[in-house]
Amino acid sequence: MRVEFQAELDALEAGFQETGEIVLRSIRGVIDALRTQDVELCDEVIAFDDEIDDRYHALEKQIELVLARQTPVAGDLRLVLALLHCGLHVERIGDQCVTIAKLTKLSSHLDTRQIVIEGLVDMGERCAEMVKASLTAFANRDLGQARGLHGLDDLVDRANRQVFEEVLGYVNDAEALEWGMRQITVARCFERIGDNAVDIGEQTAFVVTGEFAEFTDASHDVRPPG
Amino acid sequence: MTQMEAPRIDSSRIAEVSHGLDRSEVESRERVFSVRDLSVAYHGNVALENVELVEIRRRIGMVFQKPNPFPKSIYDNIAFGPRVLGMKGSLDERVEQALHQAALWDEVKDRLKDGALGLSGGQQQRLCIARALAVEPDVILMDEPASALDPISTTRIEDLMHELKRDYTIVIVTHNMQQAARVADMTAFFSVDVEEDGSGRRGILVEYDATTKIFTTPSDKRTEDYVTGRFG
Repeated sequence: MRVEFQAELDALEAGFQETGEIVLRSIRGVIDALRTQDVELCDEVIAFDDEIDDRYHALEKQIELVLARQTPVAGDLRLVLALLHCGLHVERIGDQCVTIAKLTKLSSHLDTRQIVIEGLVDMGERCAEMVKASLTAFANRDLGQARGLHGLDDLVDRANRQVFEEVLGYVNDAEALEWGMRQITVARCFERIGDNAVDIGEQTAFVVTGEFAEFTDASHDVRPPG
Repeated sequence: MTQMEAPRIDSSRIAEVSHGLDRSEVESRERVFSVRDLSVAYHGNVALENVELVEIRRRIGMVFQKPNPFPKSIYDNIAFGPRVLGMKGSLDERVEQALHQAALWDEVKDRLKDGALGLSGGQQQRLCIARALAVEPDVILMDEPASALDPISTTRIEDLMHELKRDYTIVIVTHNMQQAARVADMTAFFSVDVEEDGSGRRGILVEYDATTKIFTTPSDKRTEDYVTGRFG
């Protein structure tokens, strides 16, 4: 049965899911910070990233040891490789949250525009949903849910463009433009979080099917049906 | 092998003892172990002195490459040690407990009086482990315990080692690096140095460390070459 090996694989997967859960807390933190323009909450999100990094490095170390000691093959090998990728994706999501928190702090002395804030909060909530769905899809090896992430990501991309177009209208107001430029970067961070969730979905498909395929490819104008 | 009858054993002869035991060597071994007040020297330093050999066999359970059950019943194989040592308590309970610990009970509970030699190779090896456990050793020494077994029996023995290591210190000698990587907490890599004057070969301890370290970042180049398969 290789009881010990199975226990180690289970521990890796649990470690990834836990890291994913605490990254979700970071996302929710920056959504609240944006909504309330709470600088203290921004500082908390920034400080919290150390814990995410520690967990990611611990996961990576555990994966190295499993590869060295258990020499996984076939489905076990795909799982371990996918966890290595997915760990990095959630760690990156944590980093995006830090950037959002920093930008929110940087522009906190400026007047906000409610329509943009609402757009960003909406993006953030969609991202949180996507990350949650990607974690569940991975845990359940749910190919359908993993592929569904691509459709959700389109909505995030659309919201990203809307924020951009709104800020373009601030061109004659220097202060509003400065604030708006910061928010474009915030929107870009959320857009990247959505991409990372899709990446986790792609890794889920790799674990299940044994073949890696990007759901979308930014360098080619090709989109799968639906 | 006549040297082995001397009361002092140096490391190279210990290495001899642990490799490829055939019948005549086993007989030699019995003679070695019949010597009372043994001393063990390693590179000239006395590591053990005035050792009571019966005590050694009780404190150190031994399991060898080839399963070597006694040509007796399953029950009597396990009961042999406790009987000889006059251990207290119910013999039946002791036999059952040892077979449970060796993950063999369910397979043999209905045929304890059957001959042990009728068991499969993997079962025989677990019987030998149960026999070692029955006398409550401090340490279990396993010399290539799975090298003569099929993959499924090997997995069973390895799972068993993980189970037993909670209660016992297990020393396993293996040439299978993946096995060492899978089952051991600590790993020692041994090699041989050839004397430049041609006087012989000397066993050396190259590196001893946590298994995780040995298989990810070994300190010695020779260890790295060995675990990566570039040598040996």
